[in-house]
Amino acid sequence: MDPEPNQTGQSARPAPTKARAIIDGLGGAENILEIEPCITRLRTEVRDSTLVNEAVLKSAGVHGVSRRGAIVQVIVGPEADILAQDIEDQLATEEDQF
Amino acid sequence: MALVVGSPVSGTVVGLAGVSDPVFSTAMVGPGTAVDPVRAPGEVCAPIAGVLRKLKPHAFIVVSDDGHGVLVHLGIDTVRLDGEGFRLIATEGDWVAAGEPIVGWDPAAVAGQGLSPICPVIALDATDGALSERSQPGPVEAGEPLFSWS
Repeated sequence: MDPEPNQTGQSARPAPTKARAIIDGLGGAENILEIEPCITRLRTEVRDSTLVNEAVLKSAGVHGVSRRGAIVQVIVGPEADILAQDIEDQLATEEDQF
Repeated sequence: MALVVGSPVSGTVVGLAGVSDPVFSTAMVGPGTAVDPVRAPGEVCAPIAGVLRKLKPHAFIVVSDDGHGVLVHLGIDTVRLDGEGFRLIATEGDWVAAGEPIVGWDPAAVAGQGLSPICPVIALDATDGALSERSQPGPVEAGEPLFSWS
């Protein structure tokens, strides 16, 4: 697949390491119940919200984090859908290992 | 040449500070403004000419030929409505002219569901200093300039 073209003056496809860091920041693959891209954010539901580490998420280069109980919104900008795909791919790979 | 970003709806310019979603009020995805739409069924229009890069019932992004992306969000937390009450007029991937209708909706119905129909208009990933000629709070017609983006 071709990389996402540069449409907003920012970098193109995010590195897979960013997806990895977001998974870690959300408390790991097993803590993520749901992840859904919106236009500029990832809406996620986690099992245990105390495992969410905002510092790790911020170091992944996200714009911000907004939390309401187990619902965690990770604000990533317009790359949300490709990033969600990368995260889903990584989660699927990890599940295969169990 | 600076890109002139027009209002997607007729209503009242209110700015981002009063928007209840911190993603917009703290400019997490970029600076801009917000318009409180008139409470009547209508259409939300493209703020600039370009490619309709993303289209959801409650939000869309138009990217200009030189890569400026403008996000229009139709109300706050309206993702919860799951598209109910929104009518897609344009198609994702279309090239659209400034002022071309993108989504039909009824702000009064959104308000009736207990949600704010205020429309943030965001210059994605812009620095605050890149915006100028910002319109002051007050009435605005669809298509009238909200700000310039250089």
